[in-house]
Amino acid sequence: MTDATAGQPRQGPFDRLNSAVAIAGGFLSLGLALMVVVSVVGRALFNMPIEGDFELVKMATAVSVFTFLPYTQIRRGNIMVDTFTTWLPKGAQVAIDAFWDLVYALMLALLTYCFVLGTRDYIRSGETTMMHAILLWPAIATCMALCGLTTLSAIVSMLRLLARRA
Amino acid sequence: MTGGTLAVTAFGAMLALIAIRMPIGLAMLVVGSAGYLMVHPSGLVAYIAYMKTNPYHQFANYTLSVIPLFILMGALAERSGISRALFLAAARMMGHVRGGLAMAVIWACTAFGAICGSSVATTATFGRAALPELLRYRYEGGFAAGTIAVGGTLGILIPPSVILVVYALSTEQNIAKLFKAALIPGLLAAVFYCIVIAIMVRRRPDIAPAVDRATLLAADRGGKSLAVWPAIAVAIIVVGGIYGGIFTPTEGAAAGTIAMLAVGLVQRSLGWEEIVESVKQTAETSGMIFLILLGSEVFNAFLALTHLPDNAAAWVGALGLQPYVIMIALMVFYILLGAVMDELAMMLLTLPVFFPVVMALDFGMPADDVAIWFGILVLIVVGIGLTCPPIGLNVFVISSIAKDIPISSTYRGVLPFVVADVVRLGLVVAFPGLALWLVKLLS
Repeated sequence: MTDATAGQPRQGPFDRLNSAVAIAGGFLSLGLALMVVVSVVGRALFNMPIEGDFELVKMATAVSVFTFLPYTQIRRGNIMVDTFTTWLPKGAQVAIDAFWDLVYALMLALLTYCFVLGTRDYIRSGETTMMHAILLWPAIATCMALCGLTTLSAIVSMLRLLARRA
Repeated sequence: MTGGTLAVTAFGAMLALIAIRMPIGLAMLVVGSAGYLMVHPSGLVAYIAYMKTNPYHQFANYTLSVIPLFILMGALAERSGISRALFLAAARMMGHVRGGLAMAVIWACTAFGAICGSSVATTATFGRAALPELLRYRYEGGFAAGTIAVGGTLGILIPPSVILVVYALSTEQNIAKLFKAALIPGLLAAVFYCIVIAIMVRRRPDIAPAVDRATLLAADRGGKSLAVWPAIAVAIIVVGGIYGGIFTPTEGAAAGTIAMLAVGLVQRSLGWEEIVESVKQTAETSGMIFLILLGSEVFNAFLALTHLPDNAAAWVGALGLQPYVIMIALMVFYILLGAVMDELAMMLLTLPVFFPVVMALDFGMPADDVAIWFGILVLIVVGIGLTCPPIGLNVFVISSIAKDIPISSTYRGVLPFVVADVVRLGLVVAFPGLALWLVKLLS
């Protein structure tokens, strides 16, 4: 179940970027938790919750999800099953993994393209959240950019596997 | 090709791709997309219209936020030294009984399960905190590692539980009710595991030498075990708050995460480095889960287009079998699949088809109750899958920590507990009240 071809820790600028993005997303979740706690305490003690806190929770959750994806990919953390291929030579296993990285990159490129269209729609419509009237498109555009970063991560991890094979 | 045949073919193709190393989430995403394009009358246009907003809206979900929060809470707890304190406290109480240190692991995991929603985090933290202790007291390696791998499943069996959150999201059920329903079967698991330990050490006394009380008290000199109180307070806030209806699950997860962080900062067990490490671990684990969620969303959109879920329910209904026979067949299928497959993916792939099938059967109780009861049964089979050979994630986790214990002896250590789990599964199938009683009491 673990990735047999996990690379040795290499900490280039690209890894640091992915890890910084993921940490930012993690702290966004932590900040979110703090806001929710303040809202709960405000509601319980002073009957003053943060109005519409759920709107912020929803937006921030979506953004944080997409901050995690590039990091998970560059760490090769996406779960796969290696039980049935252990009999293959190591080189063949690495080649297969590199191929799936390529497929992932193509899939994400398509997803990023869809996100571009989605962002354009939301900029045109100017749709906002119900309570705080926050524009939706900046959140969607952020997810689009992060989806693009995940595409790059998949390409970089593929190139690394190929370099190891050579 | 009709929709139904196409759906079944797609399942087969996906399993084949997974077997040749395609990451599970990606396989669901790619096969789901391909199926969607083939089945939908307006193909690519419809697919792009669906994908341009759906990934955002799928994740912009209030309830979904509990997944990273529960993982973060567990990651902080894992590094806070609480597992060690819980183990020392439990060892003080029962360590002198034969096999008592193994039982102490089980009860410490049970308590830890109330502040951690992940079995991997529970296994990892006790692998580091308790395994060296068990080995120091000359417990046999496979028995000690097996006990911790099984104890780790209590991380999800005792609420909060990431697996139950995923079940709730996937079947649109109430998380608080599922958390209530999980408690008695979860405690029952701990009791059963202790019975297994008692039987094992009676048959083979050499695997767990007796430890005298004075040694255990000396090990806890300075009252390190007193550090358990803040953990218990956090557990009461989270689980009590959700049970009492004071919190939504999201609020409970947020309060638990902040409380855990506060405890760690006050006790000086969590520094900046530990916090950043916890956040990174949360990012990697959540990223893995979210890719699978994204893949399953697209795959299920495709399945819905083929009408397979409705047709399967109708087809199974037309068989005219006893509902309980079908339930038992499903559980056997889940145990077999869980032995060779990732449990999270197994749930997300099967629930869209199995859930409507189960809901269409008449078990002589309200539909809401069936949905909650089925969730607990799925949770139990997931727990079995996490330890059962050949692919038991918890066993892999413990093996990566204890490199000198062969994985085969850990599996041997795990097997008696799997038998106990199957017995417990049978009990909860036969007596749905074990899950449903507390839900009724607390509502």
